[in-house]
Amino acid sequence: MDNSSYISLTLASSLERSLDITANNLANVNTAGFKGEKTLFESYLLRPSEIGKDDVFFSLDSGSYMDPAQGALLATGNPLDAAVLGEGWFGYQTPDGRTGLGRNGQFVLDADGMLVTAGGAQVLDAGGAPIQVPEDQGAVTIGSDGTISNAAGEAVATIGVFEAPDIQSYARLPGGMFTPADGSAPPLQPVQAPRLAQGHLEQSNVEPVIEMTRMMGIQRAYERAMTLLDDENSLRRDTLQRLGPTG
Amino acid sequence: MRAMATAATGMMAQQTNVDVIANNIANANTTGFKSMRAAFQDLVYQSQVREGALTNEAGTARPVGVDIGMGVQTAGVIRLNTQGGLTATENQLDVAIDGKGFFVVNMPDGSTAYTRDGNFQMSAEGTLVTKQGYEIDPGITIPDNSTSVAISEQGIVSAYVGSSATPVELGQLSMATFINEAGMKAEGDNLLRETTASGEAVAANPGDEGVGVLRQGYLENSNVNIIQQITDLITAQRAYEMNSKAIQTADEMLSSANQVR
Repeated sequence: MDNSSYISLTLASSLERSLDITANNLANVNTAGFKGEKTLFESYLLRPSEIGKDDVFFSLDSGSYMDPAQGALLATGNPLDAAVLGEGWFGYQTPDGRTGLGRNGQFVLDADGMLVTAGGAQVLDAGGAPIQVPEDQGAVTIGSDGTISNAAGEAVATIGVFEAPDIQSYARLPGGMFTPADGSAPPLQPVQAPRLAQGHLEQSNVEPVIEMTRMMGIQRAYERAMTLLDDENSLRRDTLQRLGPTG
Repeated sequence: MRAMATAATGMMAQQTNVDVIANNIANANTTGFKSMRAAFQDLVYQSQVREGALTNEAGTARPVGVDIGMGVQTAGVIRLNTQGGLTATENQLDVAIDGKGFFVVNMPDGSTAYTRDGNFQMSAEGTLVTKQGYEIDPGITIPDNSTSVAISEQGIVSAYVGSSATPVELGQLSMATFINEAGMKAEGDNLLRETTASGEAVAANPGDEGVGVLRQGYLENSNVNIIQQITDLITAQRAYEMNSKAIQTADEMLSSANQVR
């Protein structure tokens, strides 16, 4: 059978995955600290030129990567909301014991005074230990360097902000977290001079316009692939009809 | 195609978001009401191609994989426990908490609830009660021939009885604080309940360290920021529409696939 049908198929299945990723980006357009995912396409070359034919290129979605751009800041006025400005990632420990990095700064205190995300992951301090705010501290504030201080102005803990130069190789965890793909804990290397904004949330960095346009592009490309498949099919049918009744 | 199910989770999340915002707007004028915000988090990811998968025998590995997310879920609805503005009402039984803490309400079934609503009333027996008639702990009764009631910053309730020029001290309003106020369960009527998430109530007196003081003749407004709620509502609606477009796109793609025969 001809390659052209298969080329259409590789394109169509890549585009379906691409739409899945776009749909996930759009679903998380209001998720604090969410980082959008982008798809990489590459061509997969079949080189039958040795047998006297032209080269054929298949389409392959070889990878997807996280868009690390800063999301817009939303002033919420909630003293336990914090947004990282510029470089750096919060460290979290999930309830099942995994360590992850992320940008979600929508924090709450649990019954034991632990600083956690709404999803229940504990927030880590600069040394990698969970943060506990003791009782009767009054209203806490988060300083621009991550220091949590109580109503009397005494430092209680420091929110860790960590470097992650190789975060693109990390796998995603639910809750906007990233962790090394081999299951190990990420190295918690604090950023030199972290900058936090208290009372602000970093919103999702998904750009709705770009995602919507991409979605249109995906749809049309998919239709093209289907048309190509259809044309190829008609061509074959016509050939059979004309050449079929021999003899 | 997962896109349909993924976008459906997005639409459901935005519905929750609109529900929360609508409740905030509806309670913009409710005494002691605290604004809420839905917190979302992304769902699990399926790795189609794992990061670090080997690409040849020499040990070169993929720097990135293909991770496809399954959508979004509501991780929780966070109550914003900031101070609401105080409004002077001139009513001597109106008390606002300036700072942290809750009034303690003794419910008719013997349980305890908590409230920031200091719009107190008197029962037929002269006891300080909430608008629903539930007793405010510790059950202070004001004599029926008293001319005026004074409530100090520390919650000490005293009354001028008859023609006496010196006030009679009747008792001190009790308060409670929680380590995680956001974890308390709202049950309507401006009442909140202790939960395992909020931690146990810590008994306190008004004006203790880390506890608010009382302001007689004032009520605490809700801390709902209407302009923010309206902008959040617009964002939620647009996000809902975008997710419905994703479903439509997936549908049209499947339809074009169906036309190939």
